[in-house]
Amino acid sequence: MKITQTRENDSLTIAVAGEIEAVNADELEQSVLGSLDGVNSLTLDLKDLEYIASAGLRVILQAKKAMGKDKSFKIINVQDDVMEIFEMVGFLDIINFG
Amino acid sequence: MKEKISYLRSSLNVNVIGAITVHMLIFGFVFLVIGNSICYNGIKREHGESTYRMANAASALVNGDYIELFLEGNNQLEYSRMKLDLDRCCKKTNVTLIYVIAVDTSDYGSFVSIVNSVNNTVDDTDYVEWPFGYKRNTTNEEYRQKYISIYEKGSAHEIIYRMNPEDGRKPHITAMVPIKDSSDKVVALLCMQRPASELVNMIMPYIFIILGCTLVLVVMSTIFVSIFLKKSIINPVNMVSREATRFATQNTKGEPLGKISRYKVFDDLSVSIDDMETELTEYIDNLTAVTAEKERMGAELDIARRIQTGMIPSVFPPFPDRKEFEIYASMTPAKVVGGDFYNFFFIDNNHLALVIADVSGKGVPAALFMMVTSILISEKTSSGGYSPAEVLSEINDSVCSRNKAGMFVTVWLGILEVSTGRIICANAGHEDPAVCRKNGEFELVRSKHGLVLGTIENIEYKNIEFTLNSGDKLFLFTDGIPEAKNGEGRRFRIDGMLSALNKYSDRTPQEIIEGVQSSVDEFAGDAPQFDDMTMLCFKMNGGVIAESLTTEASLNKLNEVKSLVNGVLDRLGCPKKTKKKIALSVEEVFVNIADYAYGDNSGTVGVDVEGSVKGITVTFKDSGTRYDPLEKEDPDLSLSAEERKIGGLGIYLVKRNMDDVAYSYIDGQNVLTLKMHFNT
Repeated sequence: MKITQTRENDSLTIAVAGEIEAVNADELEQSVLGSLDGVNSLTLDLKDLEYIASAGLRVILQAKKAMGKDKSFKIINVQDDVMEIFEMVGFLDIINFG
Repeated sequence: MKEKISYLRSSLNVNVIGAITVHMLIFGFVFLVIGNSICYNGIKREHGESTYRMANAASALVNGDYIELFLEGNNQLEYSRMKLDLDRCCKKTNVTLIYVIAVDTSDYGSFVSIVNSVNNTVDDTDYVEWPFGYKRNTTNEEYRQKYISIYEKGSAHEIIYRMNPEDGRKPHITAMVPIKDSSDKVVALLCMQRPASELVNMIMPYIFIILGCTLVLVVMSTIFVSIFLKKSIINPVNMVSREATRFATQNTKGEPLGKISRYKVFDDLSVSIDDMETELTEYIDNLTAVTAEKERMGAELDIARRIQTGMIPSVFPPFPDRKEFEIYASMTPAKVVGGDFYNFFFIDNNHLALVIADVSGKGVPAALFMMVTSILISEKTSSGGYSPAEVLSEINDSVCSRNKAGMFVTVWLGILEVSTGRIICANAGHEDPAVCRKNGEFELVRSKHGLVLGTIENIEYKNIEFTLNSGDKLFLFTDGIPEAKNGEGRRFRIDGMLSALNKYSDRTPQEIIEGVQSSVDEFAGDAPQFDDMTMLCFKMNGGVIAESLTTEASLNKLNEVKSLVNGVLDRLGCPKKTKKKIALSVEEVFVNIADYAYGDNSGTVGVDVEGSVKGITVTFKDSGTRYDPLEKEDPDLSLSAEERKIGGLGIYLVKRNMDDVAYSYIDGQNVLTLKMHFNT
């Protein structure tokens, strides 16, 4: 798994490549939740993410909760296989897939 | 001492000279004996003759007409005069005895002495004079015969030689002459006995002289012959012999012998030896060079053999983690390097290529051709997307265009879909393979052959298709097997091969190949192998793959478990999407167990994976707290993000992704079984 953060003023884009598994989900959690100070707009770019386990879904849900209703959170460039998982667990209704 | 004797015995010098000496001695002795005998007999006869003449002369002193008167005792005066004359004669002639006797002519067995003169001084004898009228028996048969000769056969004289008288007397000669009366009738005998010792005395010096002369002659000629032989024959022979011995041990050219004797034959021999040494040393040098060259070629051939055997897979099992099939092959070249080859390799995870081929000819040319063909085939086949017929067609074109030596190769190429057992194959003039159906017997799978590779370009080959089901076996071979010959010139034939195969048909591929090989060896006996023998046996175990592991219930082991499952899925050729779903489910279940089953304690989890072309089953077993994850309620997906709980999605994802998830608690173990169907 490879995490790349790009910050522009108050918007943060985090690109995650590879696979998010139970063993590396903590790393992602710290990377995402630890960078949200002063962030008003969070974007997850999953262009190169090929696999996500429930541990990864958990991090995404935490991020969504952390951003709350007021701030913007969206996920972009999701591959089909991963999208299928998101769909399966009902994320399509609660997260903005720009 | 012994060595010295044995040296003397083996010395040419000693033997030749010794033999000549012995021969000369024998000749000398023989001449001595013969000469002595001739001389002795001549002297003896001459002695006898002279005795007879003396006796004849003495007989003139006896008047035959008076004999009868004397016997009647008359004419005493005349008798006395005669006695006196004879005594004198006896002394003058130096004889031992003179006696006149009248033999009894009725049987000549006795005689009467008329007169007897004795002269004991001549030969130191002790004769006593017979008195007149003394009657005596004839001495022996010899005397009797002599008397008869004179009395009845008119013999003028008789001589008796008594050289070794048996009555102890000294050797003597007795001459007897008849005394006749005026009517020429024999009336008495005059005998004169002469000693023979003078004869013996006369012969001895002669013998000594001859003996001495012979010895001197022998010694002189031996010395002369020895010097001559040694110089002109023995020394040259010894020189040649020494040089030949030296050359035999040292193998180096020595000083030339040159002229070694006055005889041409020895000079020729020495020149021959010199020439021979020159030629032999040159020959040895050449031979050394040739041998070195041969060794170098042998070493290179050995490298060629290693390169060749390195080309073909020779480690068995070649794919230890592929349990869907077993494969074994062997190649026994007739020469060090051979023209046969086999090969097998994966084109992708689910497609295995099998190749067997036989290049025309044997040895290095065949091996080179084989390597080219083998590389071309494996390159083309493993690039994927080509059917065996297409591969063969293209290889045929490449081989034809480069085939300067006019060689060709027969090839059987098959591509097996491991998950289904389906084989697509094409045959370029090669032997048909044999197939053994599960619990059945090996039979040839006959098909129309294409032309051998390497002869004509633009040939189309035909794909043939058949399926190997679980338990089926495929046997590929080259013609070296059926065409193996025994000492009587009979061949092993396809029938022999099939019956050998069927003897071992229920064995593993390795045992089958070893069995066939030993049957061929037994059949061929001591007959030399004249063609390469190559075999490949493939057994389909069916699409079921079973793997399992037991590991610590810890997140660190997640990758281990996922690799196990992914490995099986890869081998089965599982579609990527399905594979991801299964991987996700495996992860969720394992993480769940790792996180909760043993609380703060540690424990193990067992994972069994059983895959087939139809699908996969993964079973997790742990001995932790009894817990059925399936009883847990599914998360409410209608809730908003804020209302959602973090977590609790894992098992839900498993249920959604897998075709079947089942829980049971058996023997104190939580057993969770995941099933997924697919079609590869």
